[in-house]
Amino acid sequence: MNNLRNLNWSIFGAWIVLAVIGLVAIYSATQGPVSEFLPDYIQNNFAKQLVWVGIAVVFVLCFQFFTPRSYMQLSYLFYAIGLILMISTFLFGTEINGAKSWLRIGFFNLQSSELMKIATILATAQYLTSRRDITAENIRYALIAVVMILVPTIFVILQNDFGTAIVFLALIPVMLFWSGLPYGVSIYIVSPAFILYLTVFDWKLGAVATILVSFLIFMVQKRVWLTVTSLVTGIITVVGVNLALTDILQPHQIARITAFTNPAFDPTGAGWNVIQAKTAIGSGGLLGKGFMEGTQTQLKFLPEQWTDFISCVIGEEFGFMGLGLLVVTFLFLFLKLLRLAGNHKHPFAQLVTVSVTAVFFIHFVVNIGSATALLPVIGIPLPFVSYGGSAFLTNSLMLAICLNMDLYKRDFSIYR
Amino acid sequence: MNNSSNRIRTSIFALQAIMVLICLVVLGRIFYLQIVQYEVYDELGDQNSIRQEYVDAARGLIYDRNGTLLVDNQPIYSVTITPLNFDSENIPLLADLLGEPDSLVTEMVNDAKRYSRFRTSKLITDVDFKVFSLIQENLWQLPGIGHQIDSKRNYPAPLTASHIFGYLREADENDYKQTESIRLGDKIGKSGLELYYQDNLKGDLGINYLKVNALGQSLGKYTEQKIAKPPVQGDNLITTLDADLQAFAEQLMKGKSGGIVAMNPNTGEILALVSSPEYEVKKLAGRIDKEYWQFINSDSTRPLFNRAISSRQPPGSTFKPLMGIIGLHLGIVTPETEIYNSGYYMRGRPYKDLADPGLYDMESAIAHSSNTYFLSVMDKIATSGKLNTWSKLAKDFGLGVPNDIDLPSANRGILPDSTYLDNRFGKNKWGLGDVLNFGIGQGAVSASPLQIAQMTSSIVNGGYKIEPHLLRAVVRADGSIEQNNTTKKKIEWVKDEYLNTVKKGMRRNVLEGSGRFYASIPDVQVSGKTGTAQNPFGFSHGWYTSFAPAENPEIVVTVFLENAGFASISAVPVASLILEKYLKGDVERQWLVNYVLNFVPKEDNSEASAGQ
Repeated sequence: MNNLRNLNWSIFGAWIVLAVIGLVAIYSATQGPVSEFLPDYIQNNFAKQLVWVGIAVVFVLCFQFFTPRSYMQLSYLFYAIGLILMISTFLFGTEINGAKSWLRIGFFNLQSSELMKIATILATAQYLTSRRDITAENIRYALIAVVMILVPTIFVILQNDFGTAIVFLALIPVMLFWSGLPYGVSIYIVSPAFILYLTVFDWKLGAVATILVSFLIFMVQKRVWLTVTSLVTGIITVVGVNLALTDILQPHQIARITAFTNPAFDPTGAGWNVIQAKTAIGSGGLLGKGFMEGTQTQLKFLPEQWTDFISCVIGEEFGFMGLGLLVVTFLFLFLKLLRLAGNHKHPFAQLVTVSVTAVFFIHFVVNIGSATALLPVIGIPLPFVSYGGSAFLTNSLMLAICLNMDLYKRDFSIYR
Repeated sequence: MNNSSNRIRTSIFALQAIMVLICLVVLGRIFYLQIVQYEVYDELGDQNSIRQEYVDAARGLIYDRNGTLLVDNQPIYSVTITPLNFDSENIPLLADLLGEPDSLVTEMVNDAKRYSRFRTSKLITDVDFKVFSLIQENLWQLPGIGHQIDSKRNYPAPLTASHIFGYLREADENDYKQTESIRLGDKIGKSGLELYYQDNLKGDLGINYLKVNALGQSLGKYTEQKIAKPPVQGDNLITTLDADLQAFAEQLMKGKSGGIVAMNPNTGEILALVSSPEYEVKKLAGRIDKEYWQFINSDSTRPLFNRAISSRQPPGSTFKPLMGIIGLHLGIVTPETEIYNSGYYMRGRPYKDLADPGLYDMESAIAHSSNTYFLSVMDKIATSGKLNTWSKLAKDFGLGVPNDIDLPSANRGILPDSTYLDNRFGKNKWGLGDVLNFGIGQGAVSASPLQIAQMTSSIVNGGYKIEPHLLRAVVRADGSIEQNNTTKKKIEWVKDEYLNTVKKGMRRNVLEGSGRFYASIPDVQVSGKTGTAQNPFGFSHGWYTSFAPAENPEIVVTVFLENAGFASISAVPVASLILEKYLKGDVERQWLVNYVLNFVPKEDNSEASAGQ
């Protein structure tokens, strides 16, 4: 086997840095001066997370003794097991914070959708790279790949976990794009999300975006039919969003969207989290209020600040320097991972590494975006930083796979 | 091959570019929030975690003229709510702990929400200590719920005086919309002295700055920069009341309906003021007993109505002394003028006169309450076109004008003039027949017992208009004392000779007139005048206004008894006992006390008693 010295230690280091930032923030959020008001099980979060990080470090290192071939071959099996777990969760799962995504196995609460992420990436990548002739340019193969991703997505939605569903859905354009989907089409399938985002603020922004995106697609692919389709889709999106906001959505759903665009509208209701999160981060200033000194954090104005709103704790107590370091560390991790992907000769390794990076990236953007009110509040953890054993282990496993494939990149047989 | 590795390089670059771009957006956003908008959010953060807490000030105490404590405060336990942090799903638990039905608790929570979602208000006051402890133990399960010890009014003296003190009620929406300083659940005076002197009694709220978490749980005092403002205790009131006299007067009025006013004629200080039937202000002190509240509001005897100051009744013959004074002033009669009573006064119709037939001068006309004499005076006033002058002169004695007493809802009564009669009957649609009765205190003339006491005071104090009042002095929290300086104004046109004539008549009323049975007190010269207000619905109402000693009077007592029949056997003994109690310190005539306590109204002919 390869020597562990060849492991990509800079990625490993970034991973450790993020885990430590997370531990510090979790400690502050759950062990601070007023932690006595928190239930016991939350006060134990730091200790539990510390144990998980320890286990994960050992696990990631031990994982390097496997070769990529083992999980390549087993990827369909993993996918099947993952689906069974998802179904079991749906049937027998326990509900935490409104999402029924935990399956109790012995002493351990397993979040099956986390494992499913890995299984879906591996299986879809395996499928898309199994034969030379399979590319996303062929609509039949592309559709099969989409279905492979959509099936677990449906279960995630059934579990009431929309944050994770977004992560799954984001895999579709990324994986298809990497598997040969033309650039123009790739842009096209991502564009509705972008246009929708802008339309929520102002339909005129959405309209301008529609025109720009269509123009970009035309420049990239020079296909009139694709450009026209893009224009039509964009217009439908703009009109649809406007209709939804005025006629279709229920008042409480509209309230959540209004809360995002204008949190002051209902500061104690739907806008509460947005205002509290911005207040916590904004009041941190350049250097922050200091470890365990954040009034917003310590006084528990934010719900779930050890998971979804952990960036608020960092922002408040360590200021722009702390939060900036976090963002830069993540960016470093993303760029390094993408470089690993670029160095691979084998398409499976490339696709898996890119997909894993995309998953981390989507988590990062949605989480920080929610906390800074760039996006509506969508409950989703920050990888390696937020509290949560399942998520930390599975994210570490994904990272371990990327590191592992990099470690063994010379051993991959070359198909093409 | 080359193509695909090209594509890979491009794709990697595109992805890296997107990620760098988005991370820059995120960094920019963070920079904007933390650096550009720092000041905004820093202040928001402070507001978030520092909460103002009001500290109730102790309400001022009320004393009688001799320093006897009449009203003080007693601790009670309250449960508070901050609706913002309260989860409605906890209502069943809360209701269970409070021992109240869910629906009631829901209603209370909604009230609090209507007041403010952010500010803490009292959810329920005066809960049992056991319930209070239960809530305290379970606070962790009930975010948004707090507890507080505050106070309720306590009445340690053995008297009721509900109409004087008045009751407190929790401020409602209208109250707290009027003033910034009132919060929902604050108790404010709603009647009596509590209302009139609300601003003095309430004190100033203290302010504490507390660090709180999002659950509203206090984390101790916030001491940086802002200094908490300590509460300032409300002013204490020293009243003019004589607690013993008040208690005695209340005892005499048990089971009767009417009002008593006892006051110092020289100063206007009220010594006792009773309205019967009374409600029990004690029962309205803590959490209001809804059934009791409904009972006193709907009871046909109207216990909340202050008969001593708010009732409006024809004063009957108690008005005659004032008629005499006006008659003398207008030169219609002299003290020596004699008018013959034939048993009735004939003017369009016969007006009955119960006084024995014969010649009456002013003194004897007052002593024996001759209707003829005063009807004839009124006749001359009206026929000489001096009705409005008469009205103006009588108003100088406090009749038909707003009273200055420091209690809310004093009635101004009616003292008719041509404008009044025009409004009531129509211009030129009234005549002598509507006016003549005024001379004997009947018809449209009406007044409260307080006004008759004030009128009597002006007659016996040398013709000064005094302000009846209950407040003697205000004692501020810093110990400074502010005396209540009321005005005492000479009524210019009143001459001592008029007053002396009338006072002699009133003295003779006690000696030989209607007061002769019960009014006299051994060793004390008592003067007085009875009166009857005709009551179309039953027994007449009895009036008696009296003063003693006859020379240099120290006290005026006016008694008004509803449906009591002859004043001479109903109102007179009550007033007499009060005079005795006040002047002698104790009551020797225990038999008369028993008589009054067991008094049953008798009347053979209410029509016949008119003008007595």
